[in-house]
Amino acid sequence: MASTDDALETYTHLPLHIDPQTKQVSILSSDKALQDAVAKINHLHSALKSLETPNNVPPPPLPVNPKRSGNIQKLRESATASVRKGQYADAIRLLGVAIDMAAARPGWEPMGLAREELALMYQSRAAANTGVQNWVEGLKDAECSLECKRGPSNGPNGEKGPGNARAYLVGGKCLMEMGRWADAVQWLEGAIETEGKDGDDGRELVRQLTEARNHVEGKA
Amino acid sequence: MEYLSLLIPIAYLGILIGSMATFSHLYRQRQVNSKLRLAPYFGPHTTRNIYLSLLHLQDQADSSSSSTGTTKVPDSVLRAALLARAVEDIQRIMEVRTRKPALTQLLQRGVVGDEIFQRLTRAEQEMEIELKDVVAEANALAPNWGQTIFQSANEMVQNKVLRDKLDAVKATLPVEKAAWDAQREKSRRELLGVDSDPVAVPVAQSAPGQLSLAEQAARAAAMSAVTSSDDDGVIVESPGSGQPTASTARTGGTGAGAGAGGGKHKKKKGKR
Repeated sequence: MASTDDALETYTHLPLHIDPQTKQVSILSSDKALQDAVAKINHLHSALKSLETPNNVPPPPLPVNPKRSGNIQKLRESATASVRKGQYADAIRLLGVAIDMAAARPGWEPMGLAREELALMYQSRAAANTGVQNWVEGLKDAECSLECKRGPSNGPNGEKGPGNARAYLVGGKCLMEMGRWADAVQWLEGAIETEGKDGDDGRELVRQLTEARNHVEGKA
Repeated sequence: MEYLSLLIPIAYLGILIGSMATFSHLYRQRQVNSKLRLAPYFGPHTTRNIYLSLLHLQDQADSSSSSTGTTKVPDSVLRAALLARAVEDIQRIMEVRTRKPALTQLLQRGVVGDEIFQRLTRAEQEMEIELKDVVAEANALAPNWGQTIFQSANEMVQNKVLRDKLDAVKATLPVEKAAWDAQREKSRRELLGVDSDPVAVPVAQSAPGQLSLAEQAARAAAMSAVTSSDDDGVIVESPGSGQPTASTARTGGTGAGAGAGGGKHKKKKGKR
């Protein structure tokens, strides 16, 4: 086995090859992990090439390139307008495009931003899905939104950020509409635990929970 | 005689110190050896191997033959490889940091052996040197990149974690969708004919007054119009408007009131 110094001074030489024209790295190996790693580097290489920074080096996470954020913001606003007009299918389509765009953000951009954006957009899409009675899609979008953002956040200066109670509300509604009352009770109890009972959304959560509980007890 | 009496304690001390020194030397050597024999905590560092292989590919091409100078590795590829290496490093550091406190606790309780903890500490030390190495390489490839490469790599790791979670949620969608479709189909067959007006029933129950009744009927129509396929508003309207008027009639209100409600509701519809 290699010693500490050895491990840092040596490396395993890999049979790599570079295509001089396309600058693609390839490897003569049947190892799946190695092939994956090389493919990832090629992908990263093409992503880096499209950067406008000097030396094509990824910029520091902050400040953010405002172009993509602006586009996403625009799509989200038009989606909100569609919801207001009752055109839920349009809203779902627009939000889908916006979510894809936000998800295609290059990896080195700040994650907190992506989380905020995705949480909001998944939540709106969940709401739009309930508008056309796509309960399953609505529930899944609510879950995605919660994966992005759960519970009240604390800002860097100790200020309280809003939680994601509305995603819980939408998800709870979907579960109840699908008649999965027991799941709904579980979901809403978790919601109240993380979001608290304060504010309008908190009260709405409590109301939904009592409704779901009544159904469970009525059935039992 | 006096000389001999002095020699005995000196010899005693000499033997004592000598044996102790030998023991400590042997002990330490054995410890070092056992440490060297420890298996590395992490598997092979693939991206580091790729990066260094790329670097040396260049050297080989330069030294062996000048005719194959075309295999020179462009800097951009090297940068990509270095970034991938930094990402892998961040993942390893996070792993070490999350596991170390837990492992310390287990070690104190005597659940795990000392060996695995030593492997972890060694991995941690190696990572520190590896980080410095990456920062130096980054600074060599682009000025001042060393300051931000790990910030970028960190965000990349976090983003990837988030994407993986979201993908996991999305992967469950088709199954649940199929289950829900099957369940809905089943209950529809059970409740055939009964489930036609779930919206109209609450309207009929409340019946606070004619005007608000009409209002509610309009809202119910709007809802059913929205809920059914909303591409073509005109087609949807005819069953939608039929439903609420039927419900108003069922409440047993005056026929005129029902008619007025219908009329009001139609006006609303027109505006929409």
